[in-house]
Amino acid sequence: MAGDAGSIPELDQKKYDSGEQVKIICLGDSAVGKSKLMERFLMDEYRPQQLSTYALTLYKHTATVGNKTVAIDFWDTAGQERFQSMHPSYYHKAHACIMVFDVQRKITYKNLANWYKELREFRPEIPCCVVANKIDADLKVTQRSFNFGKKQGIPFYFVSAADGTNVVKMFREMITRAVEYKQNPSDFMDEVLQELENFDLEEKEDPEADEVGLKTESPELE
Amino acid sequence: MSFEAKRCGVQFSPPSIVLIYQQKETKDVRKRIIPVRNFSKYSDCSMAAEGLKNHPRHKDYLEGVSQSQLEKLHIILRDHMQGLSLEHSLASFRLDPDEDLNQLDDDKLARKKGKMDELFEKNRKHKDDPDFVYDLEMDFTKTTQEKCSWDEESDDGF
Ligand SMILES: Nc1nc2c(ncn2[C@@H]2O[C@H](COP(=O)(O)OP(=O)(O)OP(=O)(O)O)[C@@H](O)[C@H]2O)c(=O)[nH]1
Ligand SMILES: [Mg+2]
Repeated sequence: MAGDAGSIPELDQKKYDSGEQVKIICLGDSAVGKSKLMERFLMDEYRPQQLSTYALTLYKHTATVGNKTVAIDFWDTAGQERFQSMHPSYYHKAHACIMVFDVQRKITYKNLANWYKELREFRPEIPCCVVANKIDADLKVTQRSFNFGKKQGIPFYFVSAADGTNVVKMFREMITRAVEYKQNPSDFMDEVLQELENFDLEEKEDPEADEVGLKTESPELE
Repeated sequence: MSFEAKRCGVQFSPPSIVLIYQQKETKDVRKRIIPVRNFSKYSDCSMAAEGLKNHPRHKDYLEGVSQSQLEKLHIILRDHMQGLSLEHSLASFRLDPDEDLNQLDDDKLARKKGKMDELFEKNRKHKDDPDFVYDLEMDFTKTTQEKCSWDEESDDGF
């Protein structure tokens, strides 16, 4: 599956390498309100692109960060188990991640650990946040401190897609962090890839390197 | 003439939506039985609900009934046509906070979301509301103190 990363035929993910294109993904269990949050943030502006085979919806948005205009693609997928096979391409090249749970359902909070683990397998360093949605249902939850974010050292937001509390704030901060990350990526994976590329180059200059570790077909074996 | 919907339900035979409403001027309470036509156990409940909501002869009466409720009533009718019990239909709408909704298929998940929509719509602030604020912010950092019980029993890496 890892080899398929980025290979959704309908989508060209190479564009996310360019300076002005940012990709932000949204994770969380079914029905925690991921789509409603996107819709609340984008209001009428949104023209989602539906890719129902992958249970994927893309929302496009333009924002100004500093003095730069950036085009943001929000990737929203269903929490349903049967869609999880598309995840490698979902994570591919993402610059930030919004993780959502439903304050009315403990199981969605507990599952954050799984979502987070999977995220970090693919994107070890991208900015991430935890969002407690549906606080309108019971404002008392905002007196409780949910430790998952603190434990992982990532920001935490109490929000409501229904009445709009903190939705815009959360999205704006995540957009800024995504852009910052993009300008200054520190992702371990990216570094490993770069080192591999360097190694590759050295190798070509120095034929003896072939004997070390890399099994290349060499005529001397005969 | 305007009407206020009081209650809305179903009748299995012939399949119909039943509406109890009040005539606003006269205060008369009446019952309206709306037969559900061209509807089978294979029909799309969401489309059927939309059709009824916009039906020229019924739409004035149904103004106070949300489309998601009409969809729910159609689901009950369709379940009945498929031989499922009313108890089964009602249970499928019920929200169990411990249920893992990731395991449900589209239809079952839609039922749960339909139920969640009731509160969502009730608490929803619309862009046309006079007190609507797009960028609504609230700071909860001062009010959060209690430890959350969800963080206890930490055998799962929490
Ligand atoms: N009260 C309340 N209900 C909400 C809120 N946000 C979402 N909901 C309800 O939760 C339901 C599910 O929301 P969705 O946005 O569809 O959830 P999702 O995370 O996109 O779900 P999947 O795409 O199936 O994984 C909605 O139908 C709403 O009824 C909120 O802020 N408050
Ligand atoms: Mg969704």
